[in-house]
This record gives sequence, C-alpha cells and structure tokens, in this order.
Amino acid sequence: MFGYVRPIQPELKCKDFDLYKATYCGLCRSMRQRYGLLAPMFLNFDFTFLTLLLWQAEEKPCTCRGRCHANPLIKKPMCEDSPALAAAADESVILTYWKLRDSAVDDGLWRGMPARTLALLLKRSYRRAAALRPAFDAAVQENLRALWQMEQDGSSSIDRTADTFARILQAAAPKGEDELQNRALEQLLYHVGRWIYLVDARDDFQDDLSNECYNPILCRYGEEGNDDALRLTLDHSLNLAYSAFQLGEFGCRSALLENILYLGLPLVQRSVFEGSFKEIKKQKIWRN
Amino acid sequence: MNDPYSILGIPQTAHDDEVKKAYRDLARKYHPDNYQNNPLADLAEEKMKEVNEAYDIITKMRAGGGNSNYRPNNGYQQQQSSAGNPSFARVRNMINMGDLVSAERAMMEIQTKNGEWYFLTGSIAYRKGWLDEAMQNYNIACQMEPSNMEYRQAMAMMQRGGGAYRPRGQQQGAMDSMDCCTTLMCLNCLCGGNGC
Repeated sequence: MFGYVRPIQPELKCKDFDLYKATYCGLCRSMRQRYGLLAPMFLNFDFTFLTLLLWQAEEKPCTCRGRCHANPLIKKPMCEDSPALAAAADESVILTYWKLRDSAVDDGLWRGMPARTLALLLKRSYRRAAALRPAFDAAVQENLRALWQMEQDGSSSIDRTADTFARILQAAAPKGEDELQNRALEQLLYHVGRWIYLVDARDDFQDDLSNECYNPILCRYGEEGNDDALRLTLDHSLNLAYSAFQLGEFGCRSALLENILYLGLPLVQRSVFEGSFKEIKKQKIWRN
Repeated sequence: MNDPYSILGIPQTAHDDEVKKAYRDLARKYHPDNYQNNPLADLAEEKMKEVNEAYDIITKMRAGGGNSNYRPNNGYQQQQSSAGNPSFARVRNMINMGDLVSAERAMMEIQTKNGEWYFLTGSIAYRKGWLDEAMQNYNIACQMEPSNMEYRQAMAMMQRGGGAYRPRGQQQGAMDSMDCCTTLMCLNCLCGGNGC
C-alpha cells in the first residue's frame, strides 16, 4: 500500500490526533516486537487505518509510554498490544514481502536488486507471519498472481485489475462473530482497496505513459485518459465505502475514521488528479 | 429488544426534541435511498426497522408529549419488473439473495441478449463492486430499451456516482469556516480596515 489513506490533521480534534499517533506508534512497536528491527521500516498510514478498523468497537484505547523506534532518545505514548495491532503487523509483513518479490521480478536483474535484498532480509519474518495468517497469505498470493497475469495480458478492465487488490484488502479483516460487522467491514475494505488501486494507477499514469509500462487506466481510456469518468467511478466507490461504514460499529474511533474517509480520501483523490500528491506525500502528518 | 434509548444513542433523560432529532438523524443515515442496489441494503433495512421500533416505543411511553406522530413515510420498495422470461426472474432472485456465482452461471446459459440481459449483467457487476462494467452494461440496456424506467433509473444512479449519508461536519470541502474568515477579512479591507 502506498500512503494514500491519511487523516487531515487540521480538521481533527486533539484527542483523535493523539489516538492516531498512539495507534501509529503502537503498530510500529508491535512490528518491532514481533519481527525485529527491519519490519518497522515498512510501517505506513494505510496499515494504521486498517488497525483502527480492526479494533473491537467497545475496546477503549490503552496507551503506555515506549521508546520511539526512529529516535530511541525520546519516549512516546503508544497503544498497548492488542489483537488488532497484531493482525495489522502480521498482514503488513506479508503484503510487503510479496510486493517486494513482485517488484524484484518486474525490475529485472540489476534494478530489482534492492527489492530482492530486502525481500531476502524479510523472509524469516514473512515465514512466521504467514504461519500465523495462512488465509491472508493465500489471498495475497492468489490475487497478486491474478493481477500479474492481467498485467501481462494488458487487461483493459479497471474493474478486474482493481478487484485483485480490493480482495487482498478485504481479506485483511479477520472474521469476527458479528455477521453485520463482518459484511460492513468487507464492503468498506473492498471499496477502499479498489479506490487505492485506481488512485495509484492514476498517480502513475504519466510515468507509465512515458516508460511504456502497463497501466490499467491507459488501457481502458487510452493515452488521453478520461478523468471525468475515472472521478465518477472513484466517487462511487467512496460512496459505497461510506454506506458500509455507517452500518459498522467503530466506537471511540468513529470520529477519526470519519475524518480519514470523508475528508482524507477525497482530498488525496483531488490532489492526485491535479498532480500535486507528490508534495502532500512528502509532508509529515506530525514531527517527532 | 434492547433499550430503545441506547438504539437512538441518547440518555433516558433526553428531551422530546432531542429524541426527535436523534431519530431524524438515524433515519436519514439508514434511509433506503442511500442503499439503492447496495449489497448491504438488507442490513440498512434492519437497522431502520430497529430505529423505527425504538422511536415508536419511546413516543408511546411518553404519550401525551404531543409529538408522537412524526415518522417519515418509507414506502420504498425495490422495483421488480420481471415480466416475460422466467430465467430472468430466477436470476433476479439469486441477485437479491446475494448468490452472485449462481446468477452469473445462469446468465451464461441465457441465449437471448436483450435489454434485460444487459441490465442484469450490470446488476451482478454492481453487486461485485465492478462499477465500470456495471455502467457499460446499464448503458447498453438503456440503448436497447430506452423507454424502460428501471434501466434508466439504474443508469441515472451510476451517473450520480451513487449516494451515501454524510455525517454533519464531514461535508466535502469542509473549509467553510476558513472561507468565512477570508470573506470577512476582504470585507474588512473594503471598509477601510482598522479605520472602519
């Protein structure tokens, strides 16, 4: 995943901002404890969002103070270990590993060297994570393989290519006991996944055009692209994600999730269309 | 049944107006219009029913409060116009049950590719979240049978980009307060700034 799912800080209440930071730091700590020093390098905002979604609605956030991974001299409030953090940490290692393997293959012998090295270093962590979450691991492998095949065939369907990534994200929610919550989460994650894939494709559009790489939007709409049609389908996906979100229970995390979904995603979408997302990406949401 | 007050998310001491407001907000949130063709429509309907019941119980308990009659009319029913071909009726049933795999298989076996065939193919795609293909199929259905209201409604929904409830304060471009400030500042300048 690529950092498209982020909160809009000026619109957040202080307590929600603190909750976001504590979740982010808690995820980092969880990854470090479970998988060692390399894993937290792959920490990102998208998995923080996933953690927030996976938390049980009635569970209140407990924070403790721990040392920051990036700067061990300071201590920071972090969420204490919980099943949601563990799931997000495991899944992030699995997805990162397969994405590294993918880019190692795509980039060839020399340019794929860094990715291949990182994948090799991450392999032991991956094995452990895959043993803990076999269903997610299988879903990632199956869908990335399907996606790779469609890329080879030059598929011109934005639905089918996005479907693979959407299914990966959908598989990231472990089945709970509440059937309503399961269904709501599944649809929410499916459409956020679809949105991420297509926004990423739009973001890479110019690069892929000049490098003559595969891009689903290029194949669907041609070299001119069709931003109006794409915007419509992206907005529609967001609306379906919203309608699912309204049916789920997210307890004290609702306000923060609302900020990410209703303000963060549309803003990122707009900036990707305008070509200014690269600037936003560089900005940190907070300073150390 | 659970405590009707907790369903509406208000304390038992809430004032009648607060009850009404909470009810209105929830009714707006779960309104069937927000869940047209949505795979989660049944869940929204259940929630809506719960909210309606809770509101009824509270207003009955408080009878004499004078505002027990408010209840928007939800006479919304999904249109079903499957005259003619019985296989299409079967496919419609499967789609409504959420059994998309069987529905797709049944569609493959149908030879006559008329407007309804494209409409149902579009509906299956929509349920899967394949919005682009849904739109293409709805479009063909509309072109083949331009007078069919059901197809045109589906197409119109796609052209609107669907719809969903937005909580208060989370409207897109929620920078209104800032715009307001800028306007005031501009006005202040026009009036001669501090000298005004």
